[in-house]
Amino acid sequence: MAPIAILAAILFCNVAASNVEEMAAGHEAHVTNNKSTCPHSFVEDTQTLAKAKHPTSKESDVVSDEVQGAVIGGIIGGKNGSAGAVGGAMHGTGGAMYGGLMGSSGTATSAAPLSRYDLVVIGGGSGGMAAAKEAAKLGKRVALFDYPSPQGTTWGIGGTCLNVGCIPRKLMHYAALIGASFYDARLLGWQLPDVRGQGHSGIAHDWGQLVKFVRNKVRQLRFSYGNALRSYGNSLTYVNALARFESAGVIEYENPSSGETQKLTADKVLIAVGGRPNIPEDIPGAVEHDITSDDIFTLDRPPGRTLVVGAGYIALETAGFLNEINFDVSVAVRSVVLRGFDRQCAEKIAQLMAEVGVRFMYSVTVGSITKKQPDESGLPSLEVELRSRDGNIVTEVYNTVLFATGRTPETASLGLDAVGVKYDAQTSKIAVNDVEQTSVPNVYAVGDCIPQLELTPVAVRAGEVLARRLYGGSTEKMDYEMVPTTVFTPFEYGSVGLSEEQAVKKYGKDAIETFLLEVETAHTDPPALSRLAHSSAPLLTHFEDLELSGVHRPKVATARSDGFDIFLSASNLSKLVCLRNENNRVVGFHYVGRNAGEVTQGFALALRLGATKSDFDRMLGIQPTDAESFSGLTVTRRSGESFVAAGGCGGGRCG
Amino acid sequence: MYVTHRLARFGTHLGPLQNHTRSLSSSPLRMSEHFDFFVIGGGSGGIAAARRAAGYGAKVGVAEYSRWGGTCVNVGCVPKKVMFNTAMISEMMHEAHHFGYDIDTSRVKFDWKTIKHKRDAYVKKLNTIYDTNLEKSAITKYIGKASFTGPKSLRIERATDAGGPLEVTASHVLVATGGYPQPFGLPGEEYTISSDGFFELEDQPKKVAVIGAGYIAVELAGIFNALGSETHLFTRGDTALRRFDDMLKTVLTAEMKRAGMHLHPGSTPAGLKKEADGSLTLSLQNGQSHGGFDTVLVATGRMPCVDSLNLPAAGVKQAPKKGYIEADEYQNTNVEGIYALGDVCGKVELTPMAIAAGRRLADRLFGGMNDAKVSYDLVPTVIFSHPTIGTIGPTEEECKKKYGEDNIKVYKATFPNLYYGPWTVAPEEKPKTAMKLVCLLPEEKIIALHVIGMGADEMLQGFGIALKMGATKADFDSCVAIHPTASEEFVTMAPWGMAPQRRGA
Repeated sequence: MAPIAILAAILFCNVAASNVEEMAAGHEAHVTNNKSTCPHSFVEDTQTLAKAKHPTSKESDVVSDEVQGAVIGGIIGGKNGSAGAVGGAMHGTGGAMYGGLMGSSGTATSAAPLSRYDLVVIGGGSGGMAAAKEAAKLGKRVALFDYPSPQGTTWGIGGTCLNVGCIPRKLMHYAALIGASFYDARLLGWQLPDVRGQGHSGIAHDWGQLVKFVRNKVRQLRFSYGNALRSYGNSLTYVNALARFESAGVIEYENPSSGETQKLTADKVLIAVGGRPNIPEDIPGAVEHDITSDDIFTLDRPPGRTLVVGAGYIALETAGFLNEINFDVSVAVRSVVLRGFDRQCAEKIAQLMAEVGVRFMYSVTVGSITKKQPDESGLPSLEVELRSRDGNIVTEVYNTVLFATGRTPETASLGLDAVGVKYDAQTSKIAVNDVEQTSVPNVYAVGDCIPQLELTPVAVRAGEVLARRLYGGSTEKMDYEMVPTTVFTPFEYGSVGLSEEQAVKKYGKDAIETFLLEVETAHTDPPALSRLAHSSAPLLTHFEDLELSGVHRPKVATARSDGFDIFLSASNLSKLVCLRNENNRVVGFHYVGRNAGEVTQGFALALRLGATKSDFDRMLGIQPTDAESFSGLTVTRRSGESFVAAGGCGGGRCG
Repeated sequence: MYVTHRLARFGTHLGPLQNHTRSLSSSPLRMSEHFDFFVIGGGSGGIAAARRAAGYGAKVGVAEYSRWGGTCVNVGCVPKKVMFNTAMISEMMHEAHHFGYDIDTSRVKFDWKTIKHKRDAYVKKLNTIYDTNLEKSAITKYIGKASFTGPKSLRIERATDAGGPLEVTASHVLVATGGYPQPFGLPGEEYTISSDGFFELEDQPKKVAVIGAGYIAVELAGIFNALGSETHLFTRGDTALRRFDDMLKTVLTAEMKRAGMHLHPGSTPAGLKKEADGSLTLSLQNGQSHGGFDTVLVATGRMPCVDSLNLPAAGVKQAPKKGYIEADEYQNTNVEGIYALGDVCGKVELTPMAIAAGRRLADRLFGGMNDAKVSYDLVPTVIFSHPTIGTIGPTEEECKKKYGEDNIKVYKATFPNLYYGPWTVAPEEKPKTAMKLVCLLPEEKIIALHVIGMGADEMLQGFGIALKMGATKADFDSCVAIHPTASEEFVTMAPWGMAPQRRGA
């Protein structure tokens, strides 16, 4: 990483200092020259470095192909002039670099009154970056605007996913899995050092340390995303500023270093501003005392006893990882968990979370939040009034109240009304047609700010496909069907296509065949075995996935119905929703269990290819994995038989 | 599992049958009972065939010498996966500090006995389940060695207290006796254990030598190493997993080294000696010797369980090498009415393969599906190494050889899993994931898929279906990613979206 860091120092010589820190943090030793001058010796070094092939430091996703063989190019709303000079010197491969923007693009456009771009992208998240890069790749001149969070957090390039979404949440999920593994470890024969922490893992955990690690990783990725953008040279200009429409063809913004208002003309504009968490202004104390799902990743004190408000996937993922890391977590659910997902799977996720210690409160909303004296550990004390639907009001005290009650597009400041871009007054989502075009013909929108699936890969794909349509002669439309997704709760949930309910609604109950298999956690301790042996119930009702075999993880006491109700419920659920009159073509894939993220991807491809149930039946299972459960689905919902049965080799399914 | 008598010589066995046997052999006995279908071997393939046939209404008998479930359940996949998961937990504990956990791993103690006994209890329970499954399918069970007395007749050696020996006849006989670990065959053999013996170990070895280069050697060495045994892997060639794709071998070698395993390539054993202090010294043909081992595990291959079958009495043809039974794609041997499948044929020695072959055979013989057979192409396989490996189809080299280098296009990606993202170590210190798609031009049909890295084990299955369905690179590109996962790299491999399109995106 060191060469890149030095390179960064050079590249950022003329960039606003704050921006440099943002992009290159974690490499502080190398970025001390990020002021307005740049030592000449560095420039020489850079010429060499720029010719060298970039390492393919593909830490997570979309970077490496672009980074490879990159020649460092255009940057970034800094001061004009000198950056261009440095850039030019660095290049070696020709093509003057433009430092700032606006009439100073360093190249031939300086004669024009306003700099003209083929495409201006507003929003430097996943969708915006993808479209910008693709358009640049296709030879277009692109400006990409990205702006700091209104909450004053330290966002950089990368949008929700990188800064406050998938990436940090997956990292926290890893921490959660490790926490749970400590618990399992004791059951598997480890003697661990003295128990100092609370909760599941029984191991002390330094929250601040985790937050630091996660933030460093996010910074590092921002840095490599920045590199990827720079590799497009003059074709792609990044501006760290908030853009707004003056008209459909003119974009204005404040130069981040000079503060002057500047303008540029855009042939086409793509809005990809994403969304920000809703803050419930009508709840007294909420604005002052709550944090959002975004803020948890920068919370520098331990969350302590936490109330999560909301029951979407962000709420459940957050509640899940906090629980597994050791915190006492309650979830206030207004109506149902994971609305829009398959009901059976959603409820199973909630049930498993409850069994590992998350407290769910259903039909409960928050009335008010009042700050009290900090508790004995110095954490804030928040008195929360909880109202249940039947009118009961209780007051509970939490250290942290976290709202995850949806996200709203950040469109207010764009000036959409002035140019006539239509959006939903309630949700603020921008209306688009099937080619992501808004009500203004040269203005397009992708990602979380349109009424489609709010998923990073969807935004990425839609952005790329859009750029190819606009500039690459493609006619391909974004296909929002059969999109796979995974909820990274402690037991993960992966799905592709339709939920059982959606399928029934779309095709009618008679047209649907649902195949099911549930794998139960086993009991091999002597009392449970003896119960099993003397039970009149069929033997094939007590099995486990191999991940938990030998572990026999108990439920938390609060989730037990009686003295015999000791062990975790079935930890796997596999489900295929098929169309009977189309040879049982699979239109819905659902999997609850470990590793759902990894399990689901390949099946998503199979469903896209039109896989039928018989393709699944012909599939040779990979022994012993969780994914192989899909090779043995025989019980249908229609049959009414128990689907809680054999699974994995553990269920006696081998033969 | 039909191997106890062989294994006993090598210091391992599957345990006495004891009263378990008696209770299982409760079926009414008649001399020379006739069956529609008789299966020798109660492992994955045999049980699958037997139950499927019984489902079609055939009268079915099955003979098993040892414990129900065969290699997979007793000394294979299942207990191996339990140990693999245990090893993964050990790894996670040692990595926990990267995620803010404050744990002094030097004070962590692992008790091998605990997991051994829990694992045994679990396997025992599975034996019972298999037994119950057979009973539910109304299959007549025999505990005893079966051997041919003619093409349609068998003698079953039962213990006296189980009713003594008897003869049965059958219209169709399936041999699914599986295999057993190939012995060391060198001086000092008595001091070695096999993969079967691995599951008998009551205590964790302090310093262990694993001899072999196949997936069993790699998996067991990985478990030992992750659980803290000083582990030495001796391979005859340059690397382990000789027949696998180069990318997999290269990354695995690097990762095993990173994990602290001691690799000894180019090591052909000459013999094993027990020292006065009880430790074992391994001498190699190159003159080197390595000492101080308390356990030496030999995993240099497997042999078919054929010796006690008296195959000549039925005239069943065997391969010259090792004596594998020769069977065609329909599992027919050279003798009409006698079939063979699974490890005893030595073709694709995988549990699901044997199960599928068994079911297809029953479909063909009793289900009226005259052409039912199993496909041996594009079989997805996972190796539970550290990190795990997933592979479908031939190696890149084999593909190029078969189709010509100009007709093959290869996509590759190498990256550290996001899991290693927050680690404050140099990038080169982070374990790597490597992926490869081998495509056949011009339409870029995927003919092989290889992956090594965290999560490879669970990501493979779905791609297995897709490859069977003839997926192309454009199809892969058309699939939206799941973010953030490792498997999403397969559908976003650069250059993305440039392959010839057959279907919409």
